[in-house]
Amino acid sequence: MNKPIIEFQGVTVGYSNRLAFYDITLKIEKGEYIGIIGPNGSGKSTMLKTILGLIKPIEGRISVFGMDTNGACKFRSRIGYLPQKEAIDPRFPILVKEVVLMGRYSSIGFFNSPSKKDKDIAFKALSQVDMEDFVDEAMGHLSGGQQQRVLIARALAQEPDILLMDEPTAGVDVETQEKILDITCKIHKDEGLTILMVTHDINQIFPYVNRVAYLNTKLYAIGEPKEALNWPPLARVLYR
Amino acid sequence: MLEFFSYDFMLRSLLASILIGATCSIVGVFVVLQGLSFIGAGIAHAAFAGVALAFLIGSNPFILAIIFSLIMVWLSGVLSEKGSLNLDATIGILFSLTMALAVLFIGLMKQYNADLYGYLFGSILSISKGDLKVISLISFSVLLLVRLFFKEFHLLAFDREMAEASGLPARKLFFLLLTLMAVTIVMSLKATGELLVIALIVIPASSAYQLTHSMGKMMLISAAFGVSASILGLIASFYLDIPSGSSIVILLSLAFALSVVFSPKKKCSARIYQRFNEEASKKEVNPNE
Repeated sequence: MNKPIIEFQGVTVGYSNRLAFYDITLKIEKGEYIGIIGPNGSGKSTMLKTILGLIKPIEGRISVFGMDTNGACKFRSRIGYLPQKEAIDPRFPILVKEVVLMGRYSSIGFFNSPSKKDKDIAFKALSQVDMEDFVDEAMGHLSGGQQQRVLIARALAQEPDILLMDEPTAGVDVETQEKILDITCKIHKDEGLTILMVTHDINQIFPYVNRVAYLNTKLYAIGEPKEALNWPPLARVLYR
Repeated sequence: MLEFFSYDFMLRSLLASILIGATCSIVGVFVVLQGLSFIGAGIAHAAFAGVALAFLIGSNPFILAIIFSLIMVWLSGVLSEKGSLNLDATIGILFSLTMALAVLFIGLMKQYNADLYGYLFGSILSISKGDLKVISLISFSVLLLVRLFFKEFHLLAFDREMAEASGLPARKLFFLLLTLMAVTIVMSLKATGELLVIALIVIPASSAYQLTHSMGKMMLISAAFGVSASILGLIASFYLDIPSGSSIVILLSLAFALSVVFSPKKKCSARIYQRFNEEASKKEVNPNE
């Protein structure tokens, strides 16, 4: 059996005033597409930030690429991250091409400017999400769904091995939601990326993912989408 | 006009105005985009407290101003990171404390000190050769660092969490930015005064924000506003015999008002709305599309 690309061993994470989740043990193989579902405040976003090493666990150990997340700065450039859309200020003066090129900054290094190769990679990432016609457009001029696709392109421009997406379909219409999910599915198949997608809409992700994890401050269950639908804890997790 | 250039002190003031105008307005872009304007005012108060203490104990005002402002800005950064208080509340407390210290130090002085009040309202015409050397050194250093770390500061301003997630040392970069802010404000204090320095940081960047959708261009436009207003304000103060700090800030405010009125962003909003209407009407005509 291959060594897991991400491994949680009895991990508990908390903030100063509450526990985000506790005692999670989980293995994710290279090339898997995992959907993480659960209600608001169930620790889904925290889970992604913990993988990035942005939040340290109180207990347990997380390893990514076989390395402990205490040394996360060594591997963060290999993880593409799509934060929740609210994290982005739509009034910030920035062009689409500048946002996507930001995905290259960790590879470019300090004191260097983006090369032609970096610009080509950024343009290719923009093409993957069908946004190449908007390259010179201001980010603030785009719709919510278009902004989300640009941010996916930014994460892809990093040429990551793992893609973490936090509610990428939140706040956009159904048509755009399907488009975003189709794009991520295509990327998963074409590039063989390991993808973790956080969402609270269970129906959306079922056709796309390999496994689903139900999280609500603890990991209730994890398994294939079909069998997961019949799990008794599902109703408790989602409708509590 | 030639009369203006015939005085050494005017030439020194002009050079200092250009350097301060450019540096403040470029650093100001990060201040405005990250919502750190209040921190700028806090730094200026802390620096003034340092100057007041220097006059009280007979020390170097510049060094104590730097020490006070760096303590203020780093403490603000650390306390806000702890998450126990918002950054503006933290600065509000330190802002009041440093002002109270300044009033205390002034109260402890046995006699009135005109030089100290120069730091409050600014006296650009009193810039000495030594002051100009310090201003030049700091301006070039700050601008060089901004150039070297431009792309990292750009990402930090856009989204700090994303910067961290990309593997950049976001925390160190944030504190470097706070340090550059503190040093820039202290450098400008004697020329512009504690009360007006924040105008040179905030107004040119806010005006430039109205005119562009790119941060790189925003910096260039902000610098153009900062330098032009500083030069014209100084010339106006010479010929009209009015305080230079006031004339510079009034010109900057005028430029801001014009930027808001003629902002192309308004036209963009109208264009986007028109495009949206056109697309909506197309869908109505052909719902299967």
